[in-house]
Amino acid sequence: MRRIEAVLFASATPVARDDLARIVGQGASVDLLIEDLAADLEGRPYEVAQVGAGWMLRTRSAYAPAIRAAADVGAQALNLTEFDLAVLAAIAFHQPISRDGLKEIFGKEISRDLIGRLADRDLIGTGPREPRRGAPYTFVTMDTFLAVFGMESLRDLPDPEQLADAGLAGPSEALDI
Amino acid sequence: MKKLHEQPSQAMPGPPPLPGWIARAAAEPLDAAAFRSGAALAHLALVAAADVPLPLWRDRLALAAAETCAAMAGRREGQGALRDALHLTRAGDDPGPAGRVLRQWSRAVARPVSVAGLGRVLEGIAPEQIGLCLDAAGPTPVDRAAAVIEAVLADVPRAETAALILADAVLARGWGQDHAVPLLSLAIKPRDLRLRGDDLRLACHRAVAAGAAQAVSLATELSRAAARLRVVTPKLRAGGAGRAVDLFLSREALTPGALDFMSDRAARRLCDRLVNLGAVRELTGRETFRLYGL
Repeated sequence: MRRIEAVLFASATPVARDDLARIVGQGASVDLLIEDLAADLEGRPYEVAQVGAGWMLRTRSAYAPAIRAAADVGAQALNLTEFDLAVLAAIAFHQPISRDGLKEIFGKEISRDLIGRLADRDLIGTGPREPRRGAPYTFVTMDTFLAVFGMESLRDLPDPEQLADAGLAGPSEALDI
Repeated sequence: MKKLHEQPSQAMPGPPPLPGWIARAAAEPLDAAAFRSGAALAHLALVAAADVPLPLWRDRLALAAAETCAAMAGRREGQGALRDALHLTRAGDDPGPAGRVLRQWSRAVARPVSVAGLGRVLEGIAPEQIGLCLDAAGPTPVDRAAAVIEAVLADVPRAETAALILADAVLARGWGQDHAVPLLSLAIKPRDLRLRGDDLRLACHRAVAAGAAQAVSLATELSRAAARLRVVTPKLRAGGAGRAVDLFLSREALTPGALDFMSDRAARRLCDRLVNLGAVRELTGRETFRLYGL
């Protein structure tokens, strides 16, 4: 259990079950050890969180204001512009989607630089090719995307129809899947 | 699932369809439902023992099951889009959320059921849990499958795909198959998965009877298609045609590129020739990035 804690502590990204299984040795159950670790961390300001198919250690969200006020987390921040985030959201809702698909949503060309910024941060990766001339890449979100935005799976994304109903999203084409 | 009845059945005898009395039998209460699903499974087992291309049949059923499971995960991709996601993803790329569901299903039905094999397919489910599922207890195979669904979802509430793959694997072992065969997953409704105990068992019996009916009609369709393919096989002179035919009898869709033992050009020509001979269908309706299958 301490080994798992050490590995999760040292890793900035979620660690997959297989990687954990290698360090706990034969016959030991990763899940039971994770459960033990979670129980052990009860009352601590950080927790084990399942993200996609792996786990990571992260501070509990209740401490977010304290961390933001006191620590310099600027270096860890995503450093993305509002438009970058809008494109990321469009990819999350419409994946797999190509740059041409994004262009249709935003009404303008999405630069390779922007896609590169999202890919460099492991937020998106390349998905299936589109079945047309040139076989363009599509983009899909990666587990890091879930981790950064505190989601366990893509089903935690807000429902586009509900957003529209609540008036949070206009009847814009951006959310019209 | 689409039924193809362009050939009169007496011209090409295939496995017999599900007898009407089974389809019409009462689906309630629990003991009637169990009788009906048992009768459907008994008939299905006879069909599967006849001349059906089993790997192909399971792969096509896996596509239908993946569509149901993807819908449960909030994905709207139909079978065509799922196929594209799987076949147009190159090595090292990610098939995306819906493509991953199909990849899990087609891997799960490709090999005999085992803890290690399913462990590699089902992300986020511990091998211990898979072992417990495969040893699930219950009076009938369908009840065991229901117990598996309940156990997996109690542990990981959103793992519907994993729960249904495991349930159909346990069910398949119960009616004498060593591979998982998607049945339950073809007809179960998302709201059924929120049921527990006897309600869930009843829903599973109903889904198995409906899924078995679909699986029987697909088996009939595919065994006729396989017979047509075998008839034209001697006419194929391309080197590697025999291996290509074997692949078509085990995978529900193929890109010409999947025939990697032939040159690209030869593979395309063989696929076109098989379409012209009426032995294989082009599945996408596209001019490029075509997919072929029986």
